[in-house]
Amino acid sequence: MKYGDFTAVDHIDVSVRQGEIFGFLGPNGAGKTTTVKVLTTITHPTSGEVRIGGLDQRDHLEAVRAEIGLVQQHIALDKDISVRENIICHALLHKVPRHEIQSRMVRFSDAMGLTPYLDQVINDLSGGWKRKTAIPCALMHQPSILFLDEPTAGLDTQSRHMLWDMLRTLNRQGVTIFLTTHYMDEAESLCDRVSVISRGKIVDSGTPRELCDRLGRTAVEYDSPDGRQYRYFRDWNEGKSFYASLNSESAVIRGTHLEDVFLEETGRESCQAIEKALRV
Amino acid sequence: MSLTKLLSDAGRVAMADMYYLRRNIWVLLATSLVTPLLYLVAFGYGLGRGVVMEGVSYMAFMIPGVVALTTLTACFTSIANKIMVQRRFYESFDEMKLCPISKSSIILGKTILGVLKGALCCILLLVMGQFLTDDLHITVGLLVCMLLSCFVYSLLGVTAGLLVDNLPKMNLFNSFVILPMTFLCGTMFSIEALPEAARWVIEALPLTHTTACIRATALDWLFPWTSLVVTFAYGVMFFVISWFILDRQKE
Repeated sequence: MKYGDFTAVDHIDVSVRQGEIFGFLGPNGAGKTTTVKVLTTITHPTSGEVRIGGLDQRDHLEAVRAEIGLVQQHIALDKDISVRENIICHALLHKVPRHEIQSRMVRFSDAMGLTPYLDQVINDLSGGWKRKTAIPCALMHQPSILFLDEPTAGLDTQSRHMLWDMLRTLNRQGVTIFLTTHYMDEAESLCDRVSVISRGKIVDSGTPRELCDRLGRTAVEYDSPDGRQYRYFRDWNEGKSFYASLNSESAVIRGTHLEDVFLEETGRESCQAIEKALRV
Repeated sequence: MSLTKLLSDAGRVAMADMYYLRRNIWVLLATSLVTPLLYLVAFGYGLGRGVVMEGVSYMAFMIPGVVALTTLTACFTSIANKIMVQRRFYESFDEMKLCPISKSSIILGKTILGVLKGALCCILLLVMGQFLTDDLHITVGLLVCMLLSCFVYSLLGVTAGLLVDNLPKMNLFNSFVILPMTFLCGTMFSIEALPEAARWVIEALPLTHTTACIRATALDWLFPWTSLVVTFAYGVMFFVISWFILDRQKE
């Protein structure tokens, strides 16, 4: 996907299985939102193809759009009207039968804890409640795949966990979920499989456990003259020997996290360069 | 696509704007009526008292012109700004692209807020006009011309809302296109008084023709059919331009 001479997303190949929660991880500007816009038909790719439910986007645009629900990174709601009115408008635009709008609205609002806020104008709600409103809107036409672009950005811990629970419930009900995030705990907690994107290219894919195993199950971090260092080992004993040899109070031995994988693959070097510059 | 489906889908598109109108109707009407009322007081009473223009009192001449300029300002401003904000700030316009709604329905649906708001403002002005002059006739023809005018300028608002990306550019469009039209298109004076070269330019602008239609029906003058055709042509042109912009953005 190109914007003029700039390649935002470069020859990526991603497949999401029906019924899974798939995480698309990457730092800011890596190409996550562009990928979501292409997958959800908002932007057309400059080359390549997208298939949703086996249907080619270009040949079956309307059918593909009917299968898609989208919660954008920027909360795409009419801010001057109420939660209830936004949900009704989304349902009408997606041609949900009028007699089903009320029952679906009640079901999804209850699930999100939105019922007491239905008559509040969006502009009067906090960021977390605005984001929660966007989800019932995206679900009103009962899509089979829900795209969420950084759904928990800016939410407090309680709201994030509430949202995770809701996504798990939706997934259990058969909705395939594709979410982008740069919160690794979110991906680790929610996702069956993930892909890591950096500078427009996929750099790794698999289950969170597979990615950690590939890097090494045990992590040892310690201070050195070049800043904080990280070493990864296939098993605990190997890591423990190295840790013992360091004989340093600042050294830590622990299991490898997805965050380690993410930082190794998207650029720990830049963090270390900053650390070094600050020390000088 | 059948006309019923086109209009039904346009109604779905307009629903969010209708909720917005219901919540803010008094604010929207008040802000849209301040300028035309100031024109009536300042020019109609202040400058025009005792003046006769084309055979009628200046107030009678001016009220249809002010109604015409209100169809432009009330409809254009509300639609253009709302679409621009929905596209650039709320990003809710992108959501509409994902819905099974045709481009024509989106364009028509987006004009409904402007037509309703413009029509309400104009009706209030015409009712007020009844107390200010005896020469003004509220006829079916006048209401039809007024609604057509509201529709055409709402379509212009859709075009601008889809084209313009930020507030400074929208202000530029207002300053160099909308504001000059409100003053120069014969709303408050006869364009016969202008030099011929200036008249050629002004005759090419849509407000000149909507003003002529509204004034002729309000004052029971000979109806300018050419102006009606030109107004229609502008409406078709704004619709087609909006359709192509949306086509580029949607597909």
